[in-house]
Amino acid sequence: MTQMKLPATTISRNFIDNPNYEKEHSETNDSPNTSTFTLTDDIPNHRDSLINQDSEFEIEDFMYSDDDFEYDDDYNQTYDSMLTKPVKRSSKKELSEGAVPNLSYEILTTQDIFENMLARVDHLQPIFNMPREDILLLMQHYDWNEERLLENWTERMEELLVEIGVSQADVRPTDINVVKDTDEINTSETKIERGITYKEGFNCVICCEEKDTQTFSLECGHEYCIDCYRHYIEDKLHSGNVITCMDCTLALKNIDIDSIMGHNSSKKLMTSSIKSFVQKHNKNYRWCPYADCKCIIHLSDTSSLAEYTRLHYSPFVQCDTDHRFCFNCGFETHAPADCNVTNAWVKKAKKESDNLNWVMSHTKECPKCEVNIEKDGGCNHMKCSSCKYEFCWICEGDWAPHGKAFYQCTLYKNDENSKKTQNDELSKTMKKYTFYYRVFNEHEISAKLDWKLGQTIGSKVRALQEKMDVSWIEGQFLTDSIKILNEGRTALKWSFPVAFYSDASHNLTKIFVDNQSLLSKAVEDLSELLQIKEPEEIMKKRLEFYNKSGYVENRMYALMECGRDLLCKGICKPTDQIFK
Amino acid sequence: MSTKRISKELRDIERDPPTSCSAGPVGDDLYHWQASIMGPPDSPYAGGVFFLSIHFPTDYPFKPPKIAFTTKIYHPNINANGNICLDILKDQWSPALTLSKVLLSICSLLTDANPDDPLVPEIAHIYKTDRPKYETTAREWTKKYAV
Repeated sequence: MTQMKLPATTISRNFIDNPNYEKEHSETNDSPNTSTFTLTDDIPNHRDSLINQDSEFEIEDFMYSDDDFEYDDDYNQTYDSMLTKPVKRSSKKELSEGAVPNLSYEILTTQDIFENMLARVDHLQPIFNMPREDILLLMQHYDWNEERLLENWTERMEELLVEIGVSQADVRPTDINVVKDTDEINTSETKIERGITYKEGFNCVICCEEKDTQTFSLECGHEYCIDCYRHYIEDKLHSGNVITCMDCTLALKNIDIDSIMGHNSSKKLMTSSIKSFVQKHNKNYRWCPYADCKCIIHLSDTSSLAEYTRLHYSPFVQCDTDHRFCFNCGFETHAPADCNVTNAWVKKAKKESDNLNWVMSHTKECPKCEVNIEKDGGCNHMKCSSCKYEFCWICEGDWAPHGKAFYQCTLYKNDENSKKTQNDELSKTMKKYTFYYRVFNEHEISAKLDWKLGQTIGSKVRALQEKMDVSWIEGQFLTDSIKILNEGRTALKWSFPVAFYSDASHNLTKIFVDNQSLLSKAVEDLSELLQIKEPEEIMKKRLEFYNKSGYVENRMYALMECGRDLLCKGICKPTDQIFK
Repeated sequence: MSTKRISKELRDIERDPPTSCSAGPVGDDLYHWQASIMGPPDSPYAGGVFFLSIHFPTDYPFKPPKIAFTTKIYHPNINANGNICLDILKDQWSPALTLSKVLLSICSLLTDANPDDPLVPEIAHIYKTDRPKYETTAREWTKKYAV
């Protein structure tokens, strides 16, 4: 019998278990801070309308914005200002006046990037003097890195073409072994056309079936039935790599892929290729971490990021669907906490919840003294080393009624055990941590509820329009209020990690805590106000909506500034030593 | 679909067996084969016969066969479990390859190891720094396990 004195607490697991905030993870789908309900449909999509407006500048921008290129900053700035795409700049209000350089970034999708790549291909066309399809292959092979491609191109043009599979090496089909019992490949022909043909009684060496079928072959003459080719390509479309003939290095162009797999299939390949491009250039590009969001944020000038870190700001960006997140760490907006505090907090939460999970799954509390006990072997007759109480491990009941006969406990009642009161023997720091973790979580849960509330706002605004004859624009105060409520809630949530890591005895920490409670009060008031359902009532209290949301906003910025002050002055230090 | 292809390969191997290799199904299961490779004469494995187990995946030939040595062998690219580090068995696999070609590649891997991409770094280190020692050990193992 082993006894462990580990604290156990019930922790609702949500966002914290998922610190990476993986895109794939559906859990983030209902993340509280999404503000998708803010009428995204009504926002005109500038991107699409502007995409082809001035392609020259677009090319120039992409030519010089890649991080693999060496360029001087002035040059980049000039071109930055000429960008044809709408460039978002973090509003001044988010960051206090003039402290850090404005963050300018563009919001892209894989389609945008691909179109930019196509523009670059057009740009390169005169240099290579080759069909665009071929240049696309070269670019794809070189992970869209023009510089390396051009360098290698000038050095060894011919080799490169063979290597990438654009042109054929001087070899005939080598596989005599397999090919010899099929007379399909006519090696005497001078030039074999690439493409699909129809053959009767074709014997495919891949599936070894003889049938009337469409076949495909490149100039190399390696001809296989269309079904085999489809199977082969299907497997490779997600790799993003250039797809070659099954028997040699000759590459399939997008046009070939489309003709075999059906229209636009090559797009899949291009998309996966672009995806790997984005992943490789993660200094400048970042996926929106929210699930199912396809936006990519492109930051061409990363020089200001260091300044943000130094001043304990975080480079928050907002994608087209109003998801706000930190470009640095990929988390949701976490002001007043900076990236360090966020990381420390999330890691800790992960670690602690692992600990707590272990305690919960491997130990039981002594029914008498509630000390945590780990059973490390032996029978189910337990004797608590702390209070000497004898009990049954299975049912946690007194051992006496189990008798001396062969052990047979059928009194399995798991539900009651989990309802046991929490262990009182928490260490002080653990208590502190658990407290902060709990409030953090509570705000997370509230934020989720607020988000659900936000989804009903649309109908409320419509009700106002219909019943009260309020114009759409007039009804916007509701949408704005919920947005501010969300922001306030997020700031409040992330202020707890800051408070946790701060020196509690310092006066500034006390001010911070006061600020927290003020914001907390303001948020709750606003939240309550947003519960009102009757349109008349809402319109009557319109001024209150304005006032309260304005107040939340002010309190939020005050709290953020105060938190940043704590960080700048070193009062808040994310270390793990506070808690061992 | 894969049955036809595997039967075809079996017929080809039976009709025209590759030099120094043999292969065929174990029992009635067409997807599970056994193969044997004679140690190449110009290698320290000369004189040994090495057995391999082969499992064809159901989507063969679009996925490579799983091949492992069942005879112990001292080689930088083959580990204690008999797993082989060979590109054509992984990402360089092509449906146009056949089992007999793969077996020939394994034969040439026995003659020319690839110590720069090792599966067993210790053996690779000896291979590169003390070739005679590697050859002696390989010969000893061959005598002990493969003759």
